[in-house]
Formats: sequence, structure tokens, C-alpha cells
Amino acid sequence: MIVPMARVRILGPRELLPATLPVLQDFGRLHVVEPRTGPELRPLQQSASTRKHEDQLRRARTEVSRALEALGISHGAGDRAASRELSRETVAAWLRTAREVARRAEALNERRSALAEEQALLRRYRPLLPTFEAMSESVTEWHDVAAYFVLVPEAERRSLARLRDSLRETVGDAFEIWSRRIPSGEQGVLIVVSEETAEELDRLIHAAGLQEIELPGGAEGLSPMESIRRIGRRLEELPDELGALDAELADLRSSHASLLRTAEAALADELARMDVTTHAGETRHAFVLEGWVPEDQVVPLRDELTTRVGETTVVEELEREEWVGEDAPVVLHNPRLFRPFERLVTILPLPRYGTVDPTPFLAIFFPMFFGIVLGDMGYGLLLGAAALLLRRGSDEESTRRAVAEIAGACAAFTIIFGALYGELLGDLGARRLGLEAVWLHREEALLPFLGLALAIGVVHTILGLVLNVISKLREGGREAIGPGVTLAMVTLVVLALLAAVDVIPRTFFTPAVVTVLVLFPVLVVLEGILGPTELLSTLGHILSYARVMAVGTASVMMAVAANRMVGAFGSVVVGALFALLFHLVNFALGVFSPTVHALRLHFVEFFGTFYSPGGHRYEPFGHWSPPDPQRKEKR
Amino acid sequence: MNEFWTYLAAALAVGIPAIATAWAQSKIGSAGSATMAEKPELSATVIILVAIPETMVILGFVVAIMILLGTGG
Repeated sequence: MIVPMARVRILGPRELLPATLPVLQDFGRLHVVEPRTGPELRPLQQSASTRKHEDQLRRARTEVSRALEALGISHGAGDRAASRELSRETVAAWLRTAREVARRAEALNERRSALAEEQALLRRYRPLLPTFEAMSESVTEWHDVAAYFVLVPEAERRSLARLRDSLRETVGDAFEIWSRRIPSGEQGVLIVVSEETAEELDRLIHAAGLQEIELPGGAEGLSPMESIRRIGRRLEELPDELGALDAELADLRSSHASLLRTAEAALADELARMDVTTHAGETRHAFVLEGWVPEDQVVPLRDELTTRVGETTVVEELEREEWVGEDAPVVLHNPRLFRPFERLVTILPLPRYGTVDPTPFLAIFFPMFFGIVLGDMGYGLLLGAAALLLRRGSDEESTRRAVAEIAGACAAFTIIFGALYGELLGDLGARRLGLEAVWLHREEALLPFLGLALAIGVVHTILGLVLNVISKLREGGREAIGPGVTLAMVTLVVLALLAAVDVIPRTFFTPAVVTVLVLFPVLVVLEGILGPTELLSTLGHILSYARVMAVGTASVMMAVAANRMVGAFGSVVVGALFALLFHLVNFALGVFSPTVHALRLHFVEFFGTFYSPGGHRYEPFGHWSPPDPQRKEKR
Repeated sequence: MNEFWTYLAAALAVGIPAIATAWAQSKIGSAGSATMAEKPELSATVIILVAIPETMVILGFVVAIMILLGTGG
């Protein structure tokens, strides 16, 4: 259900506003809105010094976030006791510390990335080093020569011979080539030529399609031998340098984590309090705050303020006539069993305040539709096991827990309908264990299954129309007449069709048709030309429930096909493996497809008849909490 | 011969809507992928939108079954 809300006005002496705000923040249930201003009441004016303080708080918060990010510290609630009475000196000190820590941490991170990058680069040369080192030792004199290291794949040894021939043609005997096999299987080749012919060698290497290895330090004029020695040295030094940097970062983290977390929470809380003052109004002597609280929280709020601020601050509940329902924020509150399904409702925009919360209906029909479609004891047990695994170790309010519980409900209905259909991994249960359908044998009873799907559609759609009438009745009696006529006409059309195919006595047919014809002009007068169009679309929606049968039949046929594989491959083992694979694919499809179709039937067909989106999210003024994608927003 | 036309009619009843559904889903799917790249929180809505044209093939499937079972009229 949608929690009934009360609009409250909090009044008190202006000087007590700073003392009132922390109490409201601790209370954590007031959704603050702008008060209606008048000649006596104007928006609260902020002094220049307050604005300056706010700027300082924002800067400090930015720096603290920067420092936390640079240190890789997760957000935390911090020390709540320290979040009161933030003096300018405290904020300035936090700002300085955070800036300094962020600067140091960023510099360390930058240095660390550079070293890690260097290490990764040098490690690529490691397998080549012993070979190249040995070859470089053959070159006694490095003056006025250019040296090239080249890698030649084993399959392209001929290109090295071609290069040797080309060099001989170009520079005569003024070159040396050494080659050795390296651990990767390629040939490591060292070519030394005089500096004048270096350009020509460059061209020949590229023409031969060979891969040249450029050693770090080459650009600085180091000889290959010196470069190789330096690589070896750096590879030995780097772990120590990285370790020292990590230790420095860890030191910085351990000495500042607690302070930064406390500062983050305290600054966010203080900024939230300042934000609330922008919604406050003032008269010459008093402050005024307005907002929404759940109806049952008005008295606790009043008691809290009286106890902690004094009797001069009063809470006044505005009469229902003074506010419009659309303005109230929406809080969904349902029994424990239905609560996970609120997540599915909140995929759509929230329902308007004062309308119907569809959660309980979704909680019953969604898993039921899922079960009707999948309807297999084997798949149900598998889904149940997956739901249990998912639920284990999940936080109480987390999305994971909600998904696990929804999957659990779907699994239960899948097992129940599996028993009614007599299905266990398709027809395997019937063939091996002699299972029989208690109610409906889906493999053969296609038309009864179609009838069942359409009957579900009729019930679901008529329920939606009834909810629409109830919703309109709450808004005012006259609003409900049009939807009431639509409901009556849909019911009569269904009765006429049932009478026409002899499901109910034929005597109902004529009266039902006559009443529909009489109601038709009434519907046009009440709802305009859109009325009959909506009526036709509603009847079309009922046909859409045929998908329950279509997807369900596809699922059972896939399972039956999987079982047939056991005998189709000659070998029982191969057949069983294929069957298992096919069952797994069918299970994956069987979970995804009913979910999407059951959701669609709710969101498009069912909700389309009564759901009024446009509710405001309830965002109570409270303490800052660390962002956590796993946790549900507090409502 | 009569059987041939029955099977052909059933195949067309499910085949033509299947092509139409595939075409519609390709359009919705590409637009949906772009939406999800910009706003991942709309993923669930996009999945529902992609499922909407499936009504066509599902009704086609029902008609095909009715043709095959000889209950189409």
C-alpha cells in the first residue's frame, strides 16, 4: 500500500532554527518542501557570511572526496559524534589536510603508475636479455657503429639469409651478423654496421619484413650492451621502488582514513542542513519549515522536538483540504512477503499518491504467471536451488536478496504447476517415473491451455478495471462512472462470448449483447470517442494473454525434444550429454522468457487499466550515508 | 493436397508475423541498446519494450495451432 502521509508545518523562534535542524536530521523522516509564502512569510534570507561558509564547506568536501579517491579509500559513515557544530576553523583545517593528502597521494600514484609501466615494458625484454647479452659481448668495439636487434620467426629464416645477401651486395663485408635461438623459439639476431650504412640497413630490414627490437636507452645514445645492462639493473631495482611507494601510500592511508571519512560525513551532513534552510521561510520573529512525514510519525516528531529543542518549537499538521494529493511523496509499504516485488514496481515511475499500489497484485500474479509458463518440477527445483544460493550471504535490503526472493516465489509456483501438469524435465518424469498430469497435460491439451491463458487474461484485466474504479472513487465519485461503464461492458462482452461458445448458458447471450449496445452511447458521452477505442484495446489486451500458452508450449516442447536426444545419437552417453545441454539451454530460456512476458503482461496489459504514474520520490532529510549500489534507497 | 494447404497456412500464419516481429525488434533493439548505453537504469524498461512486438508472433502461433488442430472455423 501507499503509506498515508501528513503535511506538517514546524514553527519556532528564528534563533532556534540552528538547534532544530540537527534534531530533524537525526529524526530522518521529514521530506522538506517549500512552504507557501505570503505577505508575512518570506523565504529565509541567507547572510553573506553563511554563503561564504557554504562555499568553504563545498570546497572542503570536494578536496576530501579527491583525497579519499586518491588513497583508494571506500566511503564510510565516519564518526557521527564529530559531525556536530562544524566551526570554520575545523573546516579550514580539514580543507588544508585533505588538499595536502590529495596532492601527496596523487603524486605517489602518478609515480607508481610510471614505475609499473616501466616494469611492464622491461619485462617484455626479459626473455631476450641473455641471448642479446651474449651476442653483444662479441662486439668488442662499439665506436662509429650502429647495432640492430631483430626477431626472426622460425618459419621465416630465409628472410634472414636474403637480408645477409642484400647487405653483402650493398655494403660489402662491412657488417657482422650474430644469431641465436631464444626461448620463445624465434631467432634473436644482432646486426652491426658502420654508422654511414645504418640508413641502408634500416631500409633493408623493413623490406625483408623483419621485426626490429628497440632497446630502451637507445635514444639516449647508449650502446646495446649498456642498454641491456641497464634493463637488468632496473628490473632488479623496480620491485623495491614500488614496494617503498606502496608502503608510503599505506602509511598515508592509515594515518588519514579515519579523519577523512569523518570529515566527509560531517561536511555532507552540514551541507544537507544548509540545503534545508534554503527551503525554510521566515517571519519577523519565527522560522517556518514545511514537509511531509508518514502519518504515524507526526506525534513522534512533535515529542522529539519538544524534548530536544523546547516547547516553543511546534509541529502543526495541515488539514487534508489544505494540500493536493499529487504533491505528497510516495512511500510503498507492504507485508514482508510482498516487499521484494516493490523493486519490480519501481522499474516504472512511482504511482501517484492516493492511487492504488500494485505491489500485492504483482507479488501474487507475477510468480503465478511464471509458474504457469515454465511449469516443470525439475526446472522449478533448479531455480529454487539457484535462488537459495543467491540469497546466501546477501544483505537484507539488497537487490540481490530481492531477486533471490522473487526467484524463490517463481520456483515455488513452477514446482506447483509442474505437479499439476505432470512434468519433470519435460516428459522424462512421465516416461521414467510414471508421473501423470493432475490437471492439464500441456503437450497435448493445447486448446484447453489456450482457454486457460485467455481466462487468466479475463480475470487479470477485469481486476485491473475494478482497481481503476476504486482508484477513481477515491478521487471523487463522478470520476468513477466512466471506468465503471467500461468495466461493465468488458464483463458483458466476455459473458456474451462465453455464452456464444456454450461455456455458460446461451440465455445470457441476448441480454448481454443488448446491454452492451445500450451502454455504448453512455460510454461515448462519458469518455468521448476515446472510450470505445479504449474498450477495444482492453479486449485486445485479453488476447495478448495467449502468450502464456504460447511460451509455455514452446518451453515444454523444447524439454521433450531434449529428452528425445538420448536415443537419437546411437550412443546413450553422447545423447544424454546433448540432452543435458539442451535442458540447460531450455532452463536459461525458460527463466528469461517467462520473466519478460510476465512483466510485460503486468506493465502493459494490467497496469494499463488502472496505474497512474507520476508519484514523487520520498527523500527524507537525514544523515549522509555512503553510496552503495547494493543497498536499497531508504524511503 | 488439402493437407499441404493446411500446413502451408499454418507455416505462413506463424512465419509472416515472425518476420514482422523480428523487424520490429531489430528497430527497438538498436534504439534500446543506445538508450542503455546512455542510461543503464532503463535496462529493464528496454527489455520490456523489446518484448512488446512478440504479441504478433504469439498470436500467429495460436492461429497456426488452431489451423493444425482444425478448430479455426
